[in-house]
Amino acid sequence: MLHEFKYLAPRRRAELLDLIAEYGARAKVLAGGTDLLVNIRAGVMKPDFIVDAKKVESYSGVGRNDAGALVFWPATTINDVLQDARVRKDFPLLAACGHDLASYQIRNRATVIGNVVNASPCSDMAPALLCLGANAVIVSKKGERIVPFKEFFTGVKKTVLMADEILERIEVPAASAGVRGDYRKLKRINGHDLGIVGVALAIKDGKINFAISSAAPTPVLVEGLPEKIGADEAVAAVDKAISPISDVRCTKEYRAYMVSVYVRRLLQEVRG
Amino acid sequence: MKVRLTVNGGTYERDVEENSTLLRFLREDLGFTGTKEGCGAGECGACTVFMNGKTINSCMVLAVEADGASIETIEGEAKGGSLSAIQEAFDKHHAVQCGFCTSGMIMSVKELLQRNAKPTVDEIKEGIEGNFCRCTGYEQIVEAVLDVSGQKIVKGDINHA
Amino acid sequence: MLENSNPRDLKYVGKDARRSEGVEKLTGAAVYVSDMSLPGMLYAQVKKSPHARAKILGIDVSKAETLDGVRAVLTGAELNYRLGLYVVDKDILAKTEVRHYGEAVAAVAADTLEIAKKAVDLIEVRYEVLPPVLNHMDALKEGAPLVHPDLGKYDFVKAAFTPIPGTNIANQSKLRKGDVEKGFAESEWIIDREYTNPSVQHVPMETHVAIVEWKKGDDIVIWSSAQSPFTVRNLFCYAFKLPLNKVRVQIPHVGGGFGGKAGIHIEPLVACLSRKANGRPVKFQATREEEFSLLPCRSALTYRIKTGVSSDGKILAQRMWMYWDAGAYADYAVNVTRASGFSAAGPYEIPNAWIDAYTVYTNKPYGTAYRGFGHVEFHWGLERHMELVAQVIGMDSLEFRLKNALRPGSHTLTGEEITENTGNVVKCIESVASSIGYGKLSIDEKAREQKTGRKIGKGIAALHKAPAMPPFTATAVIIKMNSDGTVNVNVGLTEIGQGSTTAFAQIVAERLRFRLDQVKVTVEKDTDRDPYDWQTVASKGLILTGNACILACDDLLKQAYETAGQVLRANVCDLDHDDTRVFLKHHKSHGVTFASMSVGYAYSDGNAIGGPFVGVGRYTAQGLSNLDKETGQGNPALDWTYGAHGIVVEVDPETGEFKVLRVSSCFDVGKAINPELVRGQCIGGMVQGLGTAVCEGYIYDEKGRLLNPSFTDNKIPTARDIPDIIETSVVETPQLDGPFGARGVGEHPMISVAPALGNAIQHAVGAELTHMPIRAEDVWRAMLNKEAVDNWITKTPTGSCRSDPASRIHNPDSAALP
Repeated sequence: MLHEFKYLAPRRRAELLDLIAEYGARAKVLAGGTDLLVNIRAGVMKPDFIVDAKKVESYSGVGRNDAGALVFWPATTINDVLQDARVRKDFPLLAACGHDLASYQIRNRATVIGNVVNASPCSDMAPALLCLGANAVIVSKKGERIVPFKEFFTGVKKTVLMADEILERIEVPAASAGVRGDYRKLKRINGHDLGIVGVALAIKDGKINFAISSAAPTPVLVEGLPEKIGADEAVAAVDKAISPISDVRCTKEYRAYMVSVYVRRLLQEVRG
Repeated sequence: MKVRLTVNGGTYERDVEENSTLLRFLREDLGFTGTKEGCGAGECGACTVFMNGKTINSCMVLAVEADGASIETIEGEAKGGSLSAIQEAFDKHHAVQCGFCTSGMIMSVKELLQRNAKPTVDEIKEGIEGNFCRCTGYEQIVEAVLDVSGQKIVKGDINHA
Repeated sequence: MLENSNPRDLKYVGKDARRSEGVEKLTGAAVYVSDMSLPGMLYAQVKKSPHARAKILGIDVSKAETLDGVRAVLTGAELNYRLGLYVVDKDILAKTEVRHYGEAVAAVAADTLEIAKKAVDLIEVRYEVLPPVLNHMDALKEGAPLVHPDLGKYDFVKAAFTPIPGTNIANQSKLRKGDVEKGFAESEWIIDREYTNPSVQHVPMETHVAIVEWKKGDDIVIWSSAQSPFTVRNLFCYAFKLPLNKVRVQIPHVGGGFGGKAGIHIEPLVACLSRKANGRPVKFQATREEEFSLLPCRSALTYRIKTGVSSDGKILAQRMWMYWDAGAYADYAVNVTRASGFSAAGPYEIPNAWIDAYTVYTNKPYGTAYRGFGHVEFHWGLERHMELVAQVIGMDSLEFRLKNALRPGSHTLTGEEITENTGNVVKCIESVASSIGYGKLSIDEKAREQKTGRKIGKGIAALHKAPAMPPFTATAVIIKMNSDGTVNVNVGLTEIGQGSTTAFAQIVAERLRFRLDQVKVTVEKDTDRDPYDWQTVASKGLILTGNACILACDDLLKQAYETAGQVLRANVCDLDHDDTRVFLKHHKSHGVTFASMSVGYAYSDGNAIGGPFVGVGRYTAQGLSNLDKETGQGNPALDWTYGAHGIVVEVDPETGEFKVLRVSSCFDVGKAINPELVRGQCIGGMVQGLGTAVCEGYIYDEKGRLLNPSFTDNKIPTARDIPDIIETSVVETPQLDGPFGARGVGEHPMISVAPALGNAIQHAVGAELTHMPIRAEDVWRAMLNKEAVDNWITKTPTGSCRSDPASRIHNPDSAALP
């Protein structure tokens, strides 16, 4: 690691928020580190301060708020989510998106929030959060605001977060418990890989939501399709919403094609 | 910054640069060179160690994050001069060739067996998915894990045509 | 050297034995150069070129030199040494121009790695960027930029290579056997196709690393993660004009080599840094990204094959054109060209053959030795070709292969006659075909197809390879007996994970008739202490060093018997021995222990006879010859190892995604010294072969920048990428001059995996693939007869490494080629 930074590990929430307010864009929050440290090593990010969120009490584990929503904190890892009994029982789509994310060692560190907070288009968790109508709870010294996930991503690697704010919680509404869904991820090998494209489907409140990763500048939600929608129509609706590119990983033609294949197969598998 | 942690049951306290990784700290500051660096970017698993009971890629953890932590590395695996059951199985089944991935691989196998005493072949492969090996082709590693977990191995030997 | 006729049951050879150095590797105690640190050691970093081709207008190192903690800074201007195994074309640091992305232009040694990195960032290089030549077929065209305009002035190994000055051709190898035009004239069918492979990297888990200390008086110590200590020493001394005994090369454990560490790479640069830093030891370890660009790769290949077949399916004539993409420097690539050139037609009888093989310079990271030495690359084209030819002539491809396979009495391309003991490729092919149930689907397989909607296909591919080595390759082994009757064995062959240490221990124990635990073969190499071995490459170690081990054993026993004869006052011919003593055959209780003789035998009155037992064995390849430069005829092959792969693949006909269900491999190894070690090579090589077939390959942009210099986008197989069922078999047709009948098999398991897969996919869904790697998208395109996507490029509609499709109809008969 070449770049020099100051490491801070606040133990209290208020302290963390003070630090973020004070240092703003000069600081980066450290959760799992599996994204941030890779970027620092590559010289892509050069923060003056690293604020470790993991030592703040209550910032770990899979929680539940008063409204019965599933709550993910800054230090909630992918494996925490996969191993949570409530997730397995009531939120299978979260498990489907998480289980093929990177490798086991990475999932012991990588966090749900970390997976989405940099608006990477190839986020595996974002499709689930979009389909399930999750909310981003954004917090700063000044207070709290809630942004539905479908409004959280604004552009390539851009979110609505301001420099003095952190994404403190992700809340998956209790109403999404029991939602049927699944995720298909195209990879170059059977082993751990970034998604070349990924498609999630959820059937919620009699409507079908699709969310697609790696096929647009941000993860994309196509929501509220009629539950009985025909496969061709569904493919067309999704195709309209995505804009895949050709890059080192794949051509845009095959990406678009595989999205359509996944849409059809997910409809077949989840809906029947 | 000061860091105090335990490695394989022994306590260590050192001054460390904030931008030093746990991997570098273990290898260079403490001399535990059994754990290796293969990529420095969390892809290959050669740097896998236990931190507070969970396997992690130590190249993706800062040494300062490990303050107060309990670390286990390959050096703590053999006790009292005897190989552990996993090491013995690896030796028996030729799961080692150049040896560079071995330390991390054994840590991942150990972790797998702690949470799943009798993993299927697919579960074994998923368990070591994050540990690259360029030499063995993984099959003999899978066989070693089947053996040490008391399960049957199918097609273990070379045939004579 | 013949050692295979003893009818007595073998005790160690042919049986499993634990890996000699297993315990230290399992416990983290094995030391690799990566782990080493010497007193006063400095850390090196390298400034690398971001351009594929550029003139260096100036390098300003002033800010780097004045940074606290920097002890040496080097640029190419101060290093007037040339390197090159076969064509001496490389400077230690680029001098007036850079020839590939990632090339080293300056280097720094400093107290810490961080200071060295900072210093490198402070070095300012001014470039005049020039248009690079990236595709090797473009590099052959008239008017292409010359990567080495001074090619005509370089030294090169005249006996084996032919560079063509004024072009980008670093070497042309030719082979002319019989009369191809006559053969074509008599053919019923002529099939002319072209096949391609991209560059890939070896990906050893331990990247290249070296520590060098250039002491006063020019005594130099080199620690390197390398395959060939004597080659490192010899090339080093050649470049620096030093006597060989001034340089000591030491190699501890090596974290994988695969050919990438076969030659000399970073050692000279590190040595120069040490010299400039007043003799302090300097360490340089490549990052994984540097491993992919600063360090070499495997050459890409375009292989065109034109085959004439008789009406009854016999190959009458074959013309072959190989275009090897060497990258910016010739390194091993010229020899890959030569070695592939004489082997290019595979294990088949070709009565009339004409081969032109070219090593072509381009502005890309250069190709070096890689497991298979060209054979993985050209067998892709060759075994796909055999399949396609069979299809055209309407014959089953298994039948077609067997019909044309080399058999006793056949002649190879170079005119060598195949005998009963060369090896049995027919048996290898039949074994894998039978093992996968080739030619039909079983009831279970049919049911699976019905259930899943996916198609199952089966493919086979054969292979052969002889060691690519000088005809005079030699090695020696020293066995020292200790005063307790145990022995230490020094070999120059390097343990890179292949298990040579263990195999030699088994051979020595067998020949000496000692217990395996009495025999220690040293793992670490030291050119000061170990006897010479050429290189750890080519799958020749088992034969040459194995034989030398046997001869060293015999030599040791001869000394023991001589002393024992005196002690026992007996004829040497009346003596026998076991693992502790030498005794009279007819009076077993009358004997003397090895221990009492091993460092000299003392009588009770103090008189002494004999002396320390040191057995020496030397073995040099016999009867081999250079190849005639015009006809390619000669006797280059120490031995031939034959083999075959059979693959069962399941393909999704909608998406092109596929899964390898089953791989079966078979090699004629002569004698499996340790069957489990052989199996380890078979599986490891097969998986590495799958990687090159399915997901590996360098991707460049139009400017020649490498776009996938890390594991993020340069994938290798993980444990989840191996087939469900892996079967390995051996045939044992004894190699008459091999130790216990053995021949090598280190490289071969990688060789015909990719074409077996391509053939299986073709059987499954009809997709005809002629380029690698085979990704799901490639299968999808081939199924739909869509235009293939160049595997090498991205970001632009037409691509970079490939020239405009319309102009890429190369015609090797055109005037552009000599």
